[in-house]
Amino acid sequence: MKKYLRLYSAFFKASLIADLEYRANFLTRIATDIFWYLAQIVTFETIYRHTNLIGGWTVEQMRVFLGVLFVVDAFYMILFHDNLDRMSERVRKGELDLLLAKPVNSQFMLSCQRLGTAMIGNLLIGTSWLVWSLSQLPDFQVLNLFWLLVLIPSGLLVVYSCRFIFSSTAVIFTRSENLMYLWFQLYKLGMRPDSIYVPWLRILLLTILPMAFIVSIPARSLLFVPDYALFAWAIFWSLGLLYVSHLFWKFALKFYSSASS
Amino acid sequence: MCTALIEVTLWMAVFAAAKTELIGGFPKESYLAYAIWAAFMARISVSWMYEFRMIEEIDSGSINHLLVRPFTFFEYYLSQMMGYKLVTTLFSLIVPFAVSTAFDLPTDATKLPIVLLLVFYYLILVHILSLIVASIAFHLNRVHSMTVAKNLGLWLLSGELVPLDLIPSPYKETLLALPFCNAVYIPVGYITGRLGIEQVYAGFASITWSILIFGALSVVMWRWGIRKYVGTGA
Repeated sequence: MKKYLRLYSAFFKASLIADLEYRANFLTRIATDIFWYLAQIVTFETIYRHTNLIGGWTVEQMRVFLGVLFVVDAFYMILFHDNLDRMSERVRKGELDLLLAKPVNSQFMLSCQRLGTAMIGNLLIGTSWLVWSLSQLPDFQVLNLFWLLVLIPSGLLVVYSCRFIFSSTAVIFTRSENLMYLWFQLYKLGMRPDSIYVPWLRILLLTILPMAFIVSIPARSLLFVPDYALFAWAIFWSLGLLYVSHLFWKFALKFYSSASS
Repeated sequence: MCTALIEVTLWMAVFAAAKTELIGGFPKESYLAYAIWAAFMARISVSWMYEFRMIEEIDSGSINHLLVRPFTFFEYYLSQMMGYKLVTTLFSLIVPFAVSTAFDLPTDATKLPIVLLLVFYYLILVHILSLIVASIAFHLNRVHSMTVAKNLGLWLLSGELVPLDLIPSPYKETLLALPFCNAVYIPVGYITGRLGIEQVYAGFASITWSILIFGALSVVMWRWGIRKYVGTGA
């Protein structure tokens, strides 16, 4: 465990140095996410000018939902995005050979080697929006914030595990760009409150494709009466998915036949 | 299709709670048709792949083999992009058309030719913007994130997320004065009955002046980049 923590600390330093080297890129990445945040905010603020509720959520509650979305997305971008995004390229270029030969877990190396330190700015922006949106709620219970300590990591595990499984297909198919597009479409389902979906889709998003765990469940913990069974299910299934991603990685590696496989 | 599904469910949820037949003067069917066609138009009117390739050519120095050929870098990638977009448009057009017909959503197929002409005309502007971003690669390393930022900005201004007529003044007027609403809002608004032909003509005009302005800027940026380029990659 100590070894992995030391490694992770070294990855963080190396990533920060690399990111600061390209300052224009560093700033543009922050600007990019600001555009994305604006797009989400403008969409809902515009629609709420014409209705009071969407899927049973008021505008104040939807702002909290967006705050949680921004925070989860920022964490994902910092911790995993860069690594999983270039996994297909690394397999094609034969970089995987080198990683597999190292005396550390290959899934850890592939998933954590590069951190998007530029996104720390976005995490601050997302957190500020979340704090502001919570301050707009008249009956907010501060103690509910503790739920986020487990439910945000659980949502992150879901995003990571699902994306890792999709990225791992690169080992099997070499080129998996179209599958990545499918992943982005699935991820989008988690970017809206689960209650707007028709019942069958909602059940799907709470079970087999647990995209509702990413934002809807953490946001619910802040806004509504806690549903302990649902939270327990979210934690259990997110850990289960992590294990599934590990099994899938081992399965995918059986198809690997070295560089340019 | 998933994007369209999400937007359709969103509008259904909005109308279920709004307790009104009309929002912004239009019924639910109009918004469902808008959501389905907007997802389709947004896919056509954006250039990710070719812009990334243009940047890559400059970064790696593989642009050299294009510079010695008897056509410009701009023409080479414009022809590739237009060909690709034409083929994908013809194939993917079936999906929104079939969904609109199956659910009897307001869609006037006779308006499609002029709308597609407008979108393809807009693609010339998109490609000019791609050339501007790619030209920056002569001076800076790692400009891929500029493509992402630019495309997200255009997406925000295009009207894919919500019909622009729902946005309050003066933002609405500002967005409509820009050429970027021709990517989604104007074409989709016209085929789904929100807008008249005069807005389409105004769209052609706004794209034309934008091509002139951004075209001039792209020439300056390209020449500036080429003067600095030494033939070994940026």
